[in-house]
Amino acid sequence: MSTRTGICNFCGTGCGHLLDVAGGAVRGVFASPDHPVSRGRLCVRGWHIHELLSTRERILAPLMRRNGRLEPVSYEEAIAAAADGLGRHAGNEVACLASPRASNEDNHNLTKLARTVLGTPNIGLSSDQGHGDAVDVLLEGAGFPAMLGALTEIRDARLILVVGGDIARLNPIVGSEIHRAARAGAELVTLSSRSTQIAKLSGRHLWTRPGGLRPALAALAKILVERGWHDAAFLRDRAEGFDDFARALAGLDLADLAAASGLEPAGLEDLARRLAQAPSAMAFFTTGLAGLDRASTALLFDLFLAAGKIGRDGCGVNPVTGICNIVGSYDVGATPRFLAGPRRAEGPAAGRTPRELLALEPTPLRALLVADRDEEIVRHAAKLQALDCVVYVGAYENPFTEFAHVVIPAATFAETDGTYTNAERRIQLNRRKVEPPAGVHPAWRVYADIAARRGAAWPAASAEDVMLEIAATVPAYAAVTYAGLEKGFGLQWPVDAAHPAGAVRFDAAAAPRRLRFVPAGADPGVPAVSKDFPFLLMAGKANYFWHRNNIMKKTRIPRREYNALLLLYPQGFVELAASDAKALGVRDRAPVKVVAAGGSMRVAVRISADVKPGTAFVPYFIEDMVPGFLNAAGVTIDEDQDSAIPVRIEKG
Amino acid sequence: MSGANPGAIVTVPAIAVVDEVRDEIEDVRTFYFSFEDPAVGRDFRVKSGQFIMCTVFGAGEFAVSLPFSPENDRPHISVRRVGKVTRALHELRAGDKIGVRGPFGNGFPFESIKGKNVIYVAGGIGLIPLRSSIVHVLQHRPDFGRIILIYGSKSSRELMYRDMIEQWKATEGFETYFTIDRPEPGWTGPVGFVHTMVRPADVPVENTVAFVCGPPLMFNSVIKELLAAGIKDEAIMSTLERHMKCGIGKCQHCAIGRTLVCTDGPVYTYKQIKTLGEQI
Amino acid sequence: MYIMPKSQARALAAALAEEYDLYGPVLREASGEPTFDRVEDPAAIRLEAAIPYNPPKSVVFPQAERVLSYRYDREAKKAVFVRDDLVRPKALVGLRACDLSGLLCLDRFYLGQDYVDEFYRDHRKRMFIVANTCVRPFPQCFCVCTDSGPAPREGFDVALTAAGDDYLVEAGSEKGQALTRRLGLKDAGPGAAARRAAIVDASIASFDGAAMENKAWISRVMNRITTGFISNDVWEYIGDQCFECGACSFVCPTCSCFNVEDIDSREGRTDRVRSWDSCSYEGYTRMAGEHNPRRPVEDRRNKRFFCKLSYSQSKKYLRPGCVGCGRCNRVCPGDIGIANVVTYIRREITKAGAK
Repeated sequence: MSTRTGICNFCGTGCGHLLDVAGGAVRGVFASPDHPVSRGRLCVRGWHIHELLSTRERILAPLMRRNGRLEPVSYEEAIAAAADGLGRHAGNEVACLASPRASNEDNHNLTKLARTVLGTPNIGLSSDQGHGDAVDVLLEGAGFPAMLGALTEIRDARLILVVGGDIARLNPIVGSEIHRAARAGAELVTLSSRSTQIAKLSGRHLWTRPGGLRPALAALAKILVERGWHDAAFLRDRAEGFDDFARALAGLDLADLAAASGLEPAGLEDLARRLAQAPSAMAFFTTGLAGLDRASTALLFDLFLAAGKIGRDGCGVNPVTGICNIVGSYDVGATPRFLAGPRRAEGPAAGRTPRELLALEPTPLRALLVADRDEEIVRHAAKLQALDCVVYVGAYENPFTEFAHVVIPAATFAETDGTYTNAERRIQLNRRKVEPPAGVHPAWRVYADIAARRGAAWPAASAEDVMLEIAATVPAYAAVTYAGLEKGFGLQWPVDAAHPAGAVRFDAAAAPRRLRFVPAGADPGVPAVSKDFPFLLMAGKANYFWHRNNIMKKTRIPRREYNALLLLYPQGFVELAASDAKALGVRDRAPVKVVAAGGSMRVAVRISADVKPGTAFVPYFIEDMVPGFLNAAGVTIDEDQDSAIPVRIEKG
Repeated sequence: MSGANPGAIVTVPAIAVVDEVRDEIEDVRTFYFSFEDPAVGRDFRVKSGQFIMCTVFGAGEFAVSLPFSPENDRPHISVRRVGKVTRALHELRAGDKIGVRGPFGNGFPFESIKGKNVIYVAGGIGLIPLRSSIVHVLQHRPDFGRIILIYGSKSSRELMYRDMIEQWKATEGFETYFTIDRPEPGWTGPVGFVHTMVRPADVPVENTVAFVCGPPLMFNSVIKELLAAGIKDEAIMSTLERHMKCGIGKCQHCAIGRTLVCTDGPVYTYKQIKTLGEQI
Repeated sequence: MYIMPKSQARALAAALAEEYDLYGPVLREASGEPTFDRVEDPAAIRLEAAIPYNPPKSVVFPQAERVLSYRYDREAKKAVFVRDDLVRPKALVGLRACDLSGLLCLDRFYLGQDYVDEFYRDHRKRMFIVANTCVRPFPQCFCVCTDSGPAPREGFDVALTAAGDDYLVEAGSEKGQALTRRLGLKDAGPGAAARRAAIVDASIASFDGAAMENKAWISRVMNRITTGFISNDVWEYIGDQCFECGACSFVCPTCSCFNVEDIDSREGRTDRVRSWDSCSYEGYTRMAGEHNPRRPVEDRRNKRFFCKLSYSQSKKYLRPGCVGCGRCNRVCPGDIGIANVVTYIRREITKAGAK
C-alpha cells in the first residue's frame, strides 16, 4: 500500500488522514474513512497538507549568524552555540517559546530543558491565549482540565450551544458533526456577535452586540436559577458552591444584562428553559485567538453545571482547540501558568511567557529559544534584536529567523514518531512515514542534545522513550504506551490504572471530588460607543487565514484561497452593514479610514449581511492587513473574539 | 465548439526570444517576440482574436490575448502588471526567453462580417484584444462599410497604443472618437465615459457589427447604448478574459455557465453572453 | 464467457503483476474499510470489498504531479523544457462498474473534445482493466439511477461476475482474451450469459431493500437543473451547508478540474505541477486583478450540480456526470452530497406539485 494512516497536524480536531507516500516523499492525502472523529472527512486545509509536507521551503541545514548573515554550520556547532548562548543566562533572563503544533514528546523535552537545565519557569506556548483560561476554569470547576464531553458524542447531545467564534470555519469537522447532529434532530443554538456559518446552520441565532456574550451568559444563568429550572438533585449530589453562585446572580439586574447583551429577555428565557428541559446538552467554544475570556468561560461552565449538563451522557462544556496539540502542550506543562498535569504552577514555579517578558520595560530577557514561532513576539522587534542569543528550532522557513543567532532544523510530523492530543483529549500517534532530510533531527532530540551539552544526560533514545517519561510525569497519561495508542485511533485521557482504555468523557458520578461553581469575577463591562466613536469594531479570523499564515503560505490551494480574498480587497477590508455603508455614502470596495483612540488604518469596505448595523468587523491578518492599527498601543482586540473597540469610520 | 487549432503548440511550450520591450502606459508593456526555432515560427499561425499561454520562467504560465495582426505585424503581447507572473514578465528585457503555447481560442469571425459596418468600442486596456481586428479591418478596408473606433480611458496617459492611434486618426475613412473620463490640460477632445460617445458617433444600425471590450462597468453601459441604438445582440461581440491554467479546455478554470472561454471563446456575441448566466 | 474458480483470482492478479503495476481494493488494517491503492502483493486485493473510499481516479489523474520541468539559465539566456515520462503499465483489478463509468467519462473528457490532454493520455496508455460486477448494492449506491451499474458494460479488458464459488469471466478486448487463455480458463458453457443476466437482475432488484439512495429521481432532477427551474431558496439552503472543503470533487470519479503551478525546486529547476482543484473554492475562478465572477458560495455549488446533473454537460461524457457511487455523500461535512441534493430538489418538485 502506498497510503499510510496518520493524523492531520493542523487544527485541534485531529482528523484521520491517509498520506500517500512514494519514493520517500509525501505525494498526496486522502480522508481516512476509519477515524472515529472525522469519519472520512477533512477540511480545505487538511485536504492540502501534502502541499505543506512537500514544500521546498524547508530549513535543511543548521545555521549560525556570522557577520550579520546566517551561514551553514555543523549540527554539533549549532547545538554547542545554542547551549552556550542560552546557558549563560538563568531565571528571567531566559525563556522558551514552545509550539502548540509540536508533539507531546517535543514539548515535554523543551519544558524539561527550560525548567531543569536552563533553570527558568519561563516556558510559554504561542497562541495560547484563551485556552489557558479554559484549562483554569475546568480545572477549578471539575478537576478535569480539557473538554468534558467528547467529539464522538456530539451525536448524542439533544441541544448544542455554540458560543462565540465560527466553529464551522475554525474547526470545520467539529462544525460538521454539530451540523449533522442538528440535521438528525438536535437543537442547535449559536450565541455570537456576528453572523457566522454555524449561526446560519443553527435553528436559533442569538445575535449579541459585540462584548455581549458575557452578559448574555450571565442572564441565562440568572433566569435558569431564579425560575428554579436548575437541576437541584444533581447539584445536591455532585456539586458545591451553588448558594454562592445563586447569591452572585441575585445581585445582577436582568434588564441591564439583556441590554448589555443586545438580546431580548424573551429569547434568553426561551433558551434557558430549553437548556433546562433538554435531556442532554453540550456547549462548544473555540479557544485560542477566537476564544472566550475567563469570565465568559466560567459563566458558561456554571450555567451548564446548574442545568445539570456536565459529566453525563451527551453533555459537557467543550473547548475546541485551534491548533493540533494545544491540549497536549498543556498536559506536558509547556506553559508558565501550569506544570505538567496540567496543575497550577505556584510561587517560583510560575513563570512568564516570552511575550510577557518582552513587554516589560526594560525587559529582563537576554536569551530566547523559539520553536516554530506563531506568537506576535515580533511586535517587540527592537527588543528581540537586542537579545544576546536567539535560538530558532523549526521545520519550515520562517521570517522569524531574521532575529535568530542559531537556527536548527527540525523534522516534520511525518518524519518522526510523535503523539498529539486533540481537543477531545485523544492522544494520537503519528508514525514516521518518510525519512527527514539528511542531518535533520526531531525537535525532541535537538532539545536533548542541547541539554547534554549543558551536562544533563537524558536517557530517552526514541520518541517512545520520551512518552514513557511523560507517562511517569503526567497522571492522565500514566498508562499510555505506543502499542496501546496504535491499537486503534489513540486513547482519550485519562489513561491510567482506573481507565486503561481511556475515558470518552468526564464522568461526574465517578469523579474524585464534587463539581464546583467557578466565580466569574468582576464584570469589566462592555465597550460603549460614543459620538466620536460610534461603531464597535470586532476582529476575527477569515476563512483561509490560519496560523499567522506562515504555514498556509507554503501550500498552494489554501494560499490561493487566502489570496483570492485579498484580490478583491488588496488593502484589507472592514465589513459594514449595508445601511451603515449607505449612511456613510460608500459603496462596496470603497476606501475608508477606521479610526480608534489608539490609531487608524485605511481599508476597503466590504458590505456584509454578517454584521449588524453599528458594528464592524476586520479579519485578523496581523502581518498582511492591519499591522499598524492592531499593533497600536492599547488595542487588545486580538485577545478574544468577543472583545470590541469603539471606532469611527471616515469616508475616503 | 470551435475545434482544435491545427498546428497549435499544445503541451510543451516552444521557446521564444523577447526581441524588444516597449513601455505603453503605466504598468503596461509590450513584448515583441520571435521563436528560437524558426520552423516553429513558420508553423505558428494565428487568427485574430486568439490567445496564447505564456510561460515566464521561474514564475508560471498565464493566458494573454494576441494584439498583433497575423498578416504583417510582428508577434507581440501587451501585458498589464497585476499578479506574480505578470510582474515577473515585466522584469524581462530584450534577449530574455519566454515559453509559448497556442494559439488557442476561436478568434473573430471575419468571413461572416465582410461587407458590414464595423464599430469598435474599447475602454482602457480593453483595446489590446481588439487591436488585431482593427488592423485587419483597416488592411482590408474595401471589404467593409463604415469603420468606427470609440476609445476611452481614465486619462490621456492611460490610452493604449498612442502612436498607432495617431496613425489611425489619419487613416482615410476611419472614424475615431477618443475620450477621457476627466478634463485635463492639453486635452482638446471630448471628456466623459466611453458609452457617452456612442450617440455622437451616430453609429449605423443596419448591416453592422460592434466589438466591445473593457472593464465590466464600461462594458455594461456600452452594451446598453448599442442596444438602445438598435443594434442586435447577436451583432455585438466581445472577447472575454478569464483565469486559465491549460488553454485547451481541460482545467475548467475559465468555465462560464456552460462554456469554456479557452475553447468556445474568447470571442462571444452578446447574445451568447446573455445566456451564460453569470456576471461578466 | 469463461468460468474461473474464485480461488484463481489471486493467480489472475499475480499474472498481471508480472507485466503491470498492480492497483486494487485493499482493506485498511485498523477498520477493514476498503481503499483503492497500489498493491505490491497480489494476494492483498479484496475483490469482495465494498466500493473503496477513494476512487481509482488518482491512477490516471494524480492528486499532485510534476508534468513538465524546465531549467532556465538567466546568464546564458538558455531555456530547456523536459517532459516527464508518465507512461507506466498499470493493471486496475476489481474496478466497480461505477468507477469504470467514471474512468470512461474522464476518457471522453480528456481525450475527446477539442484537444487531447497528453498527460492524461500517457497515464491511460498501457492499462489493463479487470472490472467487477456488484452482485449486491452497497448502502450508499445509486448506480441504477445513473445508468452506470451494477454490471460493467464497456471499457474493460476482463469483467468478473461472482457466481457462487466461481467468477463468470467476460473478455472485453484482445488483451483480455489473451489473459483468459494464459490462465487456462474454461468456457462457461451455453447458459452462462443467461446466468450472468439473472445475477445482475437480482442485484438491481435488491437495490430497493439494500441501498439507501435508490429513489434518487435523478432524471427528473436533471431535467430541472438543465432547465434552471430550481428556486434560489433551494440553492441557498445548499450553499449554507457548503464547508468549501473540496472533498466532493476529490472523491468524485468524474471530477477533472485541475490547477497548475510552477514551483522552484531549488535545484536550478522549476517544476510544473498539476494538482486537483475544486469548483467549491473561491479562488478557483478568480481573475487576475479583477472581480471574481463566481463569488457567492451557492453559485459555486450550483455550478457543481449543473456539471454533474445537466443534459448539456452530459454531452461531454455521453452520459450523466454522476456515476452513482455515493462517495460525495460520505465525505461531505455539510449534507450536500449528490444524493442529498437530489432529495432537496425532489422535495421542492413534490411540494410544488402538491400546490
